[in-house]
Amino acid sequence: MNHLSDQELMRIVQAGDLSPASEIYDRYSGRIYNFAFRFLKNAEAAEDAVQEVFVKMIKYANQFHGDAKLSTWLFSITANWCRDYLRKADNKSKETEDVLISLPAPLEHGPDRALEQREDELRVQRALQALTPEQREAILLSRYQGLSYAEIAQIAGCSEGAVKTRVFRAMETLKKALTTETRGGDRWLNAVQ
Amino acid sequence: MAECSAMRESFPLLLTESLDARSRELTHQHIESCSECGAEWLATKETWRLMEALPELTPPPRMRQRFLAEIGVEEKPVESNILSFPKRTWARWLSQAAAVVIVAGGSYLYGHRTQPVRLAPQQATLNSIQPVSIAESRVVKSSALSPNIEGRPDIENVQFIDTNPNDDEVSLSFDITQHMTVTGNRSDKSMVQLMAYVMQNEDKAQPSTTRAIDIVKQTYANSHQPEPEIAGAVARVLRNDEHEGVRIKAVDTLKTLPTATSETREALIAALKNDPNPAVRIKAVDALAKIAASGQLDQAAVDTLRQKAMQDDENLYVRTKAAEALKKLNP
Repeated sequence: MNHLSDQELMRIVQAGDLSPASEIYDRYSGRIYNFAFRFLKNAEAAEDAVQEVFVKMIKYANQFHGDAKLSTWLFSITANWCRDYLRKADNKSKETEDVLISLPAPLEHGPDRALEQREDELRVQRALQALTPEQREAILLSRYQGLSYAEIAQIAGCSEGAVKTRVFRAMETLKKALTTETRGGDRWLNAVQ
Repeated sequence: MAECSAMRESFPLLLTESLDARSRELTHQHIESCSECGAEWLATKETWRLMEALPELTPPPRMRQRFLAEIGVEEKPVESNILSFPKRTWARWLSQAAAVVIVAGGSYLYGHRTQPVRLAPQQATLNSIQPVSIAESRVVKSSALSPNIEGRPDIENVQFIDTNPNDDEVSLSFDITQHMTVTGNRSDKSMVQLMAYVMQNEDKAQPSTTRAIDIVKQTYANSHQPEPEIAGAVARVLRNDEHEGVRIKAVDTLKTLPTATSETREALIAALKNDPNPAVRIKAVDALAKIAASGQLDQAAVDTLRQKAMQDDENLYVRTKAAEALKKLNP
């Protein structure tokens, strides 16, 4: 089925045949998972988000119209789920601690470079969490998912101008956080202690 | 200045090549003519580049299976080269059933808490004195409850209440068939069993295991009264939970409990040897080092630390931590 377009796969699903579900899942689960994880900083919740999004995709398949991209529709469902998750006060305390999520860097780059990579990763994680949810959503969709401002506006339910402002303000905050922090091996070790 | 603000708002669009040709040209001209905006443009580009540091994560294969199972689509299992940390449902059931028998034995286990527990590999039966089914209970003092929790009741909306941190009284409220609150001393046998049950039944209980572990940590960390049942339950969470965040919390909690049981040590050693997440392994080194400092570490743990410190393909920080821990053990 991998030769079929998203729209074609969804039409099969809409007809009641769920066999394309795994193909659609394979196409988008990675992007959805990464978005949810970076938005919520919680692996457990990110997994739940992916599950909910794809189950809803099946359940409400008939609400998908071919005039929009499937990715935009799926990210809309995901962003809604993530916003609801954050609205529940209890969940704010469930952020995963700063954890190393990447595999060890190849040692041929040397331990110093490996250390720097991990430091950078943690700094970006922390800086993203310092943004407002609206700014984080906009910058994640723009920077990491490559969505246009028009698509992000559709997902966030706001104007393109508002998206432009959110991305700009997010970048200003990130700039301060990422270009002024110092590097040092002790910082990372402290972070995981 | 207004022009500068407008131009700077366009920088992210310039980076994603989303500006039309005319706007792109104007923005570049402005950057070249305005030194402040030129500096801002360089900083924006650098920030954009630094954001590449976040790695692309691959969803665990079990998520795919979970989704397809929920919608009823069958598929051949996908082979994976990722070292998984699967739930051992059968083992959990067996251990829970056996744990009920052990608890029914009551005083024996309580009086021999430092002995390793061997679980009988057969289905347990409940013959304790007047077992109380939680599903039929009302609002009660924990001392009025039997420590036996019959079956696997669905407990939801668990809330921990510690009205006076200066005493040992705590309350756990939750919904079963009705809302109920169990109040009692934190070392009361029934309260201990209830806490352990909540923590190990995250698929039945709400909120999640993470919060349940927080409750346990809050209740039993640094207490004077060691609770081997609690330590055992946390150790099982560390062994079985598939979320690294939960396992990290489990290690942290084990580190704060007053006495390390053999089950605790074995779980920490297993985590250090096998956990796929380096942050969990680093935490495990810390916990073992703390246990060692209190004189409770056995040779197996020392050997594992030594092995990790020397393991060429181990994460650099795990190796460093293990070496530091060994150095403290043998100054």
